[in-house]
Amino acid sequence: MHHLVGLRWLLGLYTALFIAFLYGPFAVMAILSFQQGPEGGPQFPIREWSTFWYQHVMGLAPPSRIAPLPIAEALTRSLSLAFATMVVSTVLGTLTAQAFRTRFKGSGVVFYLVVLGMMVPGVLLGLGMALVADQLGIDRSWWGTAFVLHVVYTYPFAFLVMLAIFNRFDRSVEEAAWSLGVPPARTFRKVTFPMIFPGVLSAMLFALTLSYDEFPRTLFTAGSDVTMPIAIYGTFAVEIHPNLFAFGILTTLFSFAVLTVYGILMGLSTRRARARFSDMQEDIA
Amino acid sequence: MMEIRGLNKSFGGNIAVRDFSLEIEDDEYLTLLGPSGSGKSTLLRLIAGLERPDTGAIVLDGKTVTGTPPHLRGLGFVQQKYGLFPHMSVFDNVAFGLRYRQIDPVSDQRTVNDRVERMLELVGLEEFGDRMVGEISGGQRQRVSLARTLICEPRICLLDEPLGALDANLRERMTVELRRIRSALGVTFMHVTGNEAEALAMGDRMIVLDAGRAIQVDTPHDIFSRPANVQVARFLNAYNILSGSGQGGAFETAGARLAMPPGVSGAVHYVFRFDNVAICDPDSRGQSGSAQMEAEFIASEFLGSRVVYFFRRPDGGVIEAEKHLSAVDPRGMRQGEKRILRWPVENVLLYGKGGGMLRHEPVLEVAQ
Repeated sequence: MHHLVGLRWLLGLYTALFIAFLYGPFAVMAILSFQQGPEGGPQFPIREWSTFWYQHVMGLAPPSRIAPLPIAEALTRSLSLAFATMVVSTVLGTLTAQAFRTRFKGSGVVFYLVVLGMMVPGVLLGLGMALVADQLGIDRSWWGTAFVLHVVYTYPFAFLVMLAIFNRFDRSVEEAAWSLGVPPARTFRKVTFPMIFPGVLSAMLFALTLSYDEFPRTLFTAGSDVTMPIAIYGTFAVEIHPNLFAFGILTTLFSFAVLTVYGILMGLSTRRARARFSDMQEDIA
Repeated sequence: MMEIRGLNKSFGGNIAVRDFSLEIEDDEYLTLLGPSGSGKSTLLRLIAGLERPDTGAIVLDGKTVTGTPPHLRGLGFVQQKYGLFPHMSVFDNVAFGLRYRQIDPVSDQRTVNDRVERMLELVGLEEFGDRMVGEISGGQRQRVSLARTLICEPRICLLDEPLGALDANLRERMTVELRRIRSALGVTFMHVTGNEAEALAMGDRMIVLDAGRAIQVDTPHDIFSRPANVQVARFLNAYNILSGSGQGGAFETAGARLAMPPGVSGAVHYVFRFDNVAICDPDSRGQSGSAQMEAEFIASEFLGSRVVYFFRRPDGGVIEAEKHLSAVDPRGMRQGEKRILRWPVENVLLYGKGGGMLRHEPVLEVAQ
């Protein structure tokens, strides 16, 4: 029994260390974002607690020698890009996974072609895309060349998620609908889609988050109007101030908001069943 | 009326259905008996349009539907695993076909309500319309699946082992229910099963399927009393089947010489029913008109109203004898004891090399 207690302590310590390393950087960033401004730098000790850097990010702080983060437009671009990527990748991924339900000729080759998009090193892909665009005389832009690469990158993720969902999907449900006289397209809308909806949500979440903070593929292909991660990287070249940390915290909060929406939508798709179930429980009671 | 002509289907070289032809009448209960792997599910899927035959035609009311997709055939298909829509209530499951079918959808909510309620009543689920399908039992799901199909008034309702997933008690109740529902609606049912008792009990007509081929189509009574084929006798699980060769009034099988009906030559299978076998003392005298064989008692199985006794033949095979408790006082036998088994020669069925029957006059009557 005694050696088990020792093991338990060891595992506890291991877990504690794991959590410390996992969340340490985030905790440090969170603490330093409340550094006094504008003189306070991105290091300990905290001179005085303040929300100056948050005001600075929002453009509410009084003017000082520190330039505001050039992120307002970049943020809009990143969000629109992430949203468009999410829509296109999820639709493509779902359709491709649907096609893979019948083992068509050459499906093995097509599978690797699709998955290639997430395997190729991002920087090289970005560079290659920049070269191709130059050769063809296409202007590089975040909504053109970068958008294409974002889709190439996130589409395999959406595809793999949907492939896993369809693998567990019982096709007898669709066959039942056809046998009732319901045409295939309507069956997809009324039966298949509601049943795979949780998977579609997960695919959307993947595509959105991957595109939102995509860096290497965007670096060479976004042109002069940069996205948020590139804009942030640009500020590193000058001087780092705690306003970056404040922005990091804000964008994390935004991610949590997205996750919450995801959770709510997931819940909604099963809520009706649960509501009915609790009704039944009350009946029995 | 549906006509199936010379249907063939194979999957990558494995033949599933072989030259299958059948006429399905209006308002009948057809059962299709076949062991697993005999192609019975494939056959149903071909008729439903979920698979396409390699060759052959399916003609429904004079119209060829061989290439018609399933949603335009107007047939019903009740699957073994039900295939209910898990995200809908029982009511919405049943209403689904009416609301969303391509041909003649019903958009009027009142009509849908009326028809769904009537159908739920017919299958005895009027209280359960609001439940989700995850909250009802297996037998209830079975009935939802049936109601969902029948509400669309299919020309023919195909049922793929509909009782297969139910426990014995429920299975018996659903057997009666299915027949009642069918006759109430006058729809033709084609019921596929691997259970011989189910096929015999439910069908007006019965088809026996083996290796993708229909080997006998007849009333259950005729199939049971005159299996056209030694394979059919085997599926019925009511016949002792001995192999050997028969000549000049005697059948030679490993270790025994059995009396056999006269005037038949070329018999390879010697077949008699479990319940034709009389168990006699080892020193009893032979009787004219009976065939007999000495065998060793192995075990008995008590089945409530009857007992099945297992005996070892001289060549090591097994002979079964079935006794109804109301008729015979079961005598205690110890394992390894010898007994003489006797059965009337006139009831013996003989089958030739190809498995076909060699003796066609009616041999015995089954109490109806």
